[in-house]
Amino acid sequence: MKKLLSLVLAIALVAGMSTCAMADAVTLKLWGAQEDQALLGELVEAFKAENADVEWDISLGVVGEPDAKTRYLEDPAAAADVFAFANDQLMDLVNADALYEVTRNKDAIVAANSAGSIESATLNDTLYGYPMTADNGYFLYYDKSVLTEEDVKTLDGILAKANEAGKKVFMDVSNGWYIASFFMGAGCELGMDENGNQTCDFNNAAGVAAGEAIRAFCADPAFLTGDDSVLQGGMGETICAGVSGTWNADAMMDKLGDNYAACKLPTFTCAGEQVQMGSFIGTKVVGVNTQTEFPVEAMMLAEYITNEAAQVKRFEQRAMGPSNVNAAASEAVQENLALAALAAQSAHGTSQKLVLGTYWTPAEAFGLEMENKSTADMQTLLDSMVAQITAK
Amino acid sequence: MKMGIKARERISNSIIYTILTILSFVWLLPIAWLIMSSLRAEPGAYTTYIIPKGWTLSNYTKLFTETELFNFPRWFANTLFVACVSCVITTMLTLMVAYTYSRLRFRSRKGLMNMSLVLGMFPGFMSMIAIYHFMKLMGLDQSLAALIMVYSGGAALKYYVAKGFFDTIPRSLDEAALIDGATRNVVFFKIILPNSMPIVTYTAIEAFIAPWVDFIFVSVIMKDNYDNYTVALGLFRMLERENIYNYFTQFCAGAVLVAVPITLLFIKIQKFYVGGVVGGAVKG
Repeated sequence: MKKLLSLVLAIALVAGMSTCAMADAVTLKLWGAQEDQALLGELVEAFKAENADVEWDISLGVVGEPDAKTRYLEDPAAAADVFAFANDQLMDLVNADALYEVTRNKDAIVAANSAGSIESATLNDTLYGYPMTADNGYFLYYDKSVLTEEDVKTLDGILAKANEAGKKVFMDVSNGWYIASFFMGAGCELGMDENGNQTCDFNNAAGVAAGEAIRAFCADPAFLTGDDSVLQGGMGETICAGVSGTWNADAMMDKLGDNYAACKLPTFTCAGEQVQMGSFIGTKVVGVNTQTEFPVEAMMLAEYITNEAAQVKRFEQRAMGPSNVNAAASEAVQENLALAALAAQSAHGTSQKLVLGTYWTPAEAFGLEMENKSTADMQTLLDSMVAQITAK
Repeated sequence: MKMGIKARERISNSIIYTILTILSFVWLLPIAWLIMSSLRAEPGAYTTYIIPKGWTLSNYTKLFTETELFNFPRWFANTLFVACVSCVITTMLTLMVAYTYSRLRFRSRKGLMNMSLVLGMFPGFMSMIAIYHFMKLMGLDQSLAALIMVYSGGAALKYYVAKGFFDTIPRSLDEAALIDGATRNVVFFKIILPNSMPIVTYTAIEAFIAPWVDFIFVSVIMKDNYDNYTVALGLFRMLERENIYNYFTQFCAGAVLVAVPITLLFIKIQKFYVGGVVGGAVKG
């Protein structure tokens, strides 16, 4: 029996090794989202043409930015050499020793991209990735035929007009990503202590005031919650304003037509004062796998697909907001309503880098309580939420 | 006042029919909604109305013509291939194992039966990461062959329903055949199988459906290999937040099409579901 087993293992080993013996070509695998495949294919061809002295064998794999961390950790050796990820995965990827430090042309990269996007890819003063887009955030879409520019400045103004017109205001409150905007607006913070555990002060006095504001918002007859598809289906018909991100821009334009408008999030009444709503700001970053056989070539490719020309192309084809300063300053980008609104909101944004996995579920549970019009004591609710978020 | 039998029957019938009508409406509504969505001209996952404003077949044609982003025909062919092969392997394995346990007597029979029953209790996906690494060791990761092995590998553990069925076929049938010079093999193929069409059908349909609806194993095994996706994984990609608005109606069309091969197979072999084939086979 033992002999048989060792024979089987030996055969498996030989079979495994024989596939490894390859020619001199530089073999790289690149991960990107499904809808980016055509664009990446173009960029890779251009990259090959510009570096024709090397024999390239670059293959594309379909793994979207939100899934990159999970897919990487499942099997780092089988993961792509160069892959795009959402910057909130940075911490976990660095802890897993997944990312090469950016050393090649570092100063040029830092200079070319916005400070916020560089910061989002930096941990402990080390740059771990190449910023690709700076558009992973949310803002307000609204129907111009119902709301004026003056109305959308305050949440109260929006709700009043919506009730008058018999329409709804959409926000997915039972989602930690969106609900945080009230707390961060009130001045609360999510952070990390020296042991790498989440800290959260949503249960202080400002947090309680923000919680009461959420309760009041949810109790308003015009309030509507749900997921993206509810907003996409109802905008312009039963919904006059909704909080979402750039991925919904096409759908919103479709539904609203000439009445399409977007702006930064409104202010809300917090303990009697008007406070600007905050938001999470995320970027998409391209990283180089530490397990790659060709680190230098992988860095060249990562740099190429995130340079100014590539970002301009990405904006033209996929309407993604550039992190490159020059690309972002172009007229076309400035004229894009959704990206302009996002840029305005960015001033009140917080990086998502310091938000760990423990935050989301308790925050969602709290949001659900609010949507269900809970009348429980706000301080108790927030205390229990914070206890769960900061649990070791 | 006394009611006639007829009147009472009529009242109870009308109550029963009312309940059945309501139930069938509740059951059919999601399917009707799916089909209507697949024919809807307006994009989006959610509408404020139920009956579409515009009707179109383009959701179906686009699935087959616009394949740059979502290669539905390829995924459909992959799934069909995997389903057919693993259906044949699974059916044969299950039935052969069931036959062995039902008819042959050997020393470890009881122990093996109990062990496979216990092993069969564990959901297959508990071992998926280990399976992935085995496949990788063999150079089979991200291939359709790996999927076929995964879907049909555990077939022997699901012997019990078939064995229960075989146990009801009189042993005197086998004995008569054995006396006439038949081998065990001949008994299985010529006597047991023709007499147990309902269970063969059941096993085959179950095995055929599995690859169409499985999501977990394909996503673990295929990872980023887009060309080898099956429909379940591929269609799910249409529901990501960037795609859902434009592709939801196509997703519905794809979901309707997935039902086609399963329904065809079912219609084709459902006549074997009739019981009582064995009745009267042994005459005293």
